[in-house]
Amino acid sequence: MTQDLQTLEQKSLDQIQAAKALDDLEQQRVSLLGKSGEITQLLKQLGGMSPDERKTYGQAVNMLKQKVQSALEDRKEALQEAALEEQFAAEAVDVTLPAEPYNLGKLHPISYVMEEVEDILKTLGFDPASGPEIETDFYNFTALNIPETHPARQDHDTFYLPDTADGQKRVLRTHTSPVQIRAMHGHKPPLRVQAIGQVYRCDSDLTHTPQFQQVEGLAIDKGLTFGHLKGVLQTFLNRFFEKEITMRLRPSYFPFTEPSAEVDIECLFCKGDGCRVCKQTGWLEVLGSGMVHRNVLEHGGLNPDEWQGFAFGMGIGRLAMLKYGISDLRLFFESYQSFLNHYGKPSAQKPKV
Amino acid sequence: MRITLNWLKDYLKTDNSADEIAVAFNRIGHEVEAVETTGYEFNNVVVGKVLSTEKHPDADKLNICQVQVDDGPARQIICGAPNVRAGLTVAVATEGAVLPGDFKIKKAKIRGVESNGMICSVRELQLGDEHNGIWEMETDAKIGTPLNDILPKADTVFDLGITPNRGDALSVLGLARDLAAGGMGAYHETWQEKFGDEKNAKHGDAAFTPGIETDGCTFFCGLSVRGIDNTKQTPDWMKQRLEAAGLRPINAAADVSQYVMLTIGQPLHHYDGDKVSGSIKATEAKGGEKLNGLDGSEHTLNKGDLVIADDKGILGLAGIVGGEESSSTESTTHVYIEAAQFDADRIALTGQAHQIHSDARYRFERGIDPSKTLLAALVSAHLLQSICGGEISHVAKTGTQMPKAKTISFDPNLVKTFGGLDLDAKESKRILESLGFDVKGEAKNGGVFDVTVPPHLTAHENPEDLIEDILRIHGYDNVPTVLPTLNLNPITDAAPTRSIEIFTRRHMAGLGYFEGDSYRFISEKAAKLFGGGDASLKLTNPIDAATMSDMRPSILPCLLSAAERNKNRGEQSIRLAEVGMTFHPEADKKQKLDHTETLRCAALLVGDYVPRNPHLPTRKADVFAIKAHALSFIEALGHDLSRMMIKQEAPKWFHPTRSGTLIVQGRPVGYFGQVHPQVARQMGVKDAAYALELDLSLLNTMNVKPGAFVMSQYQPVRRDFAFMVDSDVAAADLMTTVRKASDKSLLQDVQLFDVYEGDKLPEGKKSVALSITLQAEDRTLKDDDINAVADKVIALAAKNHGAEIRG
Repeated sequence: MTQDLQTLEQKSLDQIQAAKALDDLEQQRVSLLGKSGEITQLLKQLGGMSPDERKTYGQAVNMLKQKVQSALEDRKEALQEAALEEQFAAEAVDVTLPAEPYNLGKLHPISYVMEEVEDILKTLGFDPASGPEIETDFYNFTALNIPETHPARQDHDTFYLPDTADGQKRVLRTHTSPVQIRAMHGHKPPLRVQAIGQVYRCDSDLTHTPQFQQVEGLAIDKGLTFGHLKGVLQTFLNRFFEKEITMRLRPSYFPFTEPSAEVDIECLFCKGDGCRVCKQTGWLEVLGSGMVHRNVLEHGGLNPDEWQGFAFGMGIGRLAMLKYGISDLRLFFESYQSFLNHYGKPSAQKPKV
Repeated sequence: MRITLNWLKDYLKTDNSADEIAVAFNRIGHEVEAVETTGYEFNNVVVGKVLSTEKHPDADKLNICQVQVDDGPARQIICGAPNVRAGLTVAVATEGAVLPGDFKIKKAKIRGVESNGMICSVRELQLGDEHNGIWEMETDAKIGTPLNDILPKADTVFDLGITPNRGDALSVLGLARDLAAGGMGAYHETWQEKFGDEKNAKHGDAAFTPGIETDGCTFFCGLSVRGIDNTKQTPDWMKQRLEAAGLRPINAAADVSQYVMLTIGQPLHHYDGDKVSGSIKATEAKGGEKLNGLDGSEHTLNKGDLVIADDKGILGLAGIVGGEESSSTESTTHVYIEAAQFDADRIALTGQAHQIHSDARYRFERGIDPSKTLLAALVSAHLLQSICGGEISHVAKTGTQMPKAKTISFDPNLVKTFGGLDLDAKESKRILESLGFDVKGEAKNGGVFDVTVPPHLTAHENPEDLIEDILRIHGYDNVPTVLPTLNLNPITDAAPTRSIEIFTRRHMAGLGYFEGDSYRFISEKAAKLFGGGDASLKLTNPIDAATMSDMRPSILPCLLSAAERNKNRGEQSIRLAEVGMTFHPEADKKQKLDHTETLRCAALLVGDYVPRNPHLPTRKADVFAIKAHALSFIEALGHDLSRMMIKQEAPKWFHPTRSGTLIVQGRPVGYFGQVHPQVARQMGVKDAAYALELDLSLLNTMNVKPGAFVMSQYQPVRRDFAFMVDSDVAAADLMTTVRKASDKSLLQDVQLFDVYEGDKLPEGKKSVALSITLQAEDRTLKDDDINAVADKVIALAAKNHGAEIRG
């Protein structure tokens, strides 16, 4: 009998191994372990045996059953895996094919630099403020200590529009500085605001466009000094250019600040040795600044002997040209897609702060 | 302002180099825009004479010349120039000379013959390009005269940007004084001593005693120089300085007047004294008078213009430009010199009105040093006399020369509390005194200084002016750089549209658009095509009246122009967007403005939209591509699109049957669709152009509140419907009707998934397929619930739109 079992085992295992498909395998299972399967039948015979026989033979049959079950499972897994392999082979695609087409645009480089500047100034406590682009003469000039006869007015190359109904002169703002006055009128100090946006000058040549973008910072508090202005500018420039910047302040003149300073930085391209970009001077002019003039504070409704502060302003285009090497600023307003694709920034690129 | 180093050194004793002085100019506030060198310096190059020449025995082209270069014996010099010959006056570089290009002249043997120097060509001296032979000099100079004595002297020219508050620095004297205070040497002004005493002028009376008939003139002095010969040449040194300053020498009298103005800062006028009739006075124009100005233009004067007049009429615009008829010329023998003080504002207004930009106006507007007015007249007379001879009269003067000195009460502690510089009060005092201030008082124990402002600093008024002077002389770069502490006072409402602006730019880039930026002024034609052109929004002085005259009423004309430019460069797929202001004539009461500025976003698609690819069919831009972008943006702002409406109408610049208005919360927030083909064509775009334009200012004011969230335990059920309706029934209207079949707690969603028009339907009909989604919060829906809604959908569609349910 043991001999028979060994024969059966060999036969069963061979058949299971030979099964080519899951259907085959299932047939094998039924013929061996099904209700009337060969092994099931052997188990049924146990009832007619003596206890000793039953014990010995029973163990042998049960072992056979386990072996066959395990072989069936192994074979099932192998066949399933083979079937999957086959499916994968049939489903193969060339994933190196191009993706379904999608369009990604770019941010204008100026917009991006505006965000960079704005974000850095926000970390220094300057909250965004705004004002109209068509301004009255009062906000653009008079309140900023530039009376009608002031020589600085001629330097501004102002665009004019017809007067308002009540006879006020209207201009396209020549700088973002009118926002200083609007901020002082709208908010009580201490005050730290920034204004970023379009400004206009009636001037057009290789190095001037009649429209450009500026950013303006204004801080009013008690005890702010010229040294604090330097601190804010140094921090801003270091962060914007992402390195330690050597700064030079030149005494200058703006009607709305006193003392006033133009700020140069050591040329980023030649490190001060002199090159074409810095016109061999080793320095690049980047911004204008100063302590807010007492007349401006008064026009803003503040007592200049109580409050003091500083202001600074710079051209976004200039910053963009220096940081990203854009050489012709007139291209900023032409909207050429090739230019925008090259110098523009992807929609999800976050400015560094 | 252009000045030279040697000119400065007349009034500044200094050992500093030109480079050091340039650095100092920048440091103390006079921006150096350029540094140039002029003139020549040749050591050991002298005037010589060729006595004889003979052929070199061993070289055809060389001559052995005997050249006289001094009192000693003639020297032998070998010369290869074809034009060398006996009798020529030449420039000879002798032993030790170094010519341009570091070319050292030594004794040498040329083909065995000794040569003691070189006869120079014009090019070898870098005096010009001529190099076909040696320089044949035309000069009366004696043999042996150094070339340095004949040619303009080497000098350094500083081109300075003088700021408008520094009228005092518009003169060589003023700059020398400032440099001295800035540590660049000692200021020494000798003219006052030499010529300043008006008693030195004593040959008779001035031809006229000036009159003052206007408060625009406070002081007027004049004197005559009679018997001059104005054909005499202005000396070379003065001409060279004027030329270095950027001026053109004219005649001695005119040149002297310019030279004195540049040196002292006081504008002068030199009249031909014989052409002035009867008297001379400062007065005001009545209006309508004509004046032929020295600027070459005829000016019609306005009432109140400051003028100088004689008995016959107007001689010139005071302090701005002289008149052609009365000014000195070469034939003038009697010069009458005017030196006066005019009101800065009056000069500015008159100058602006007549658009005259003169050196005189420039200086009067910025403030002149009143203490130098009389001196300038005297210096001018003496310099003129030194050139043209003649006799100088007494000075005649009217008015008050010196205004009352200004005094500023100054707490030196401000240098620290305002300037951020902890400077000893004594040092502040020293700096102020070096600039000419008179400082009185003790600064100890919180005391203040009484600081008297010197007359040349006409713009100084406040303590801040003094702080600025102290800081700039001490050096801005020496002020410690410190970050201030931050007193928090957050301002959150001052730039209300700034964040939507940034979000929109980024969203549009993500949708595939290149962000453009355009000039906000466009042509009147373009403005009118897009609903603008109002007179109140036209620039009165556009850069180009034909193309840049009107503030834009819409961004679309800018994008269409940009599309044309891109198309001309071969772009096949135009995807442009822009975010920025548009301008409208209605008053904005909230902002207290006479006009309205609206932040808008516009986008434009032209040409290829889906390019050739292995997956999707190619596609040109169309209405539904642009509509998807409009809607996805509005949805991205947080709006519920099922509550939005779309009207099939849009402004006239859109295609009348392919455009729509987007209505959110009952208000039109923008438009989308095809640009009207005629409008597009007029903007240079021939292809079909699809656009959207949204009012971000308006969208920014809308609150977006999502409804309460309920997670239903029960399954949603979908039902599809196919309706046949007339072709002109708007899909959105049908969907709105279907939505009304149940309240939102049950009817969750309505989607349109197909539209069919064609052979299988009667003419004028279309089939619209809709899907509704039903879901209850509290139960599984039964067939009765579903059928009730379905029946209502069908009934309402039939009632409102004549819809028939299909199969």
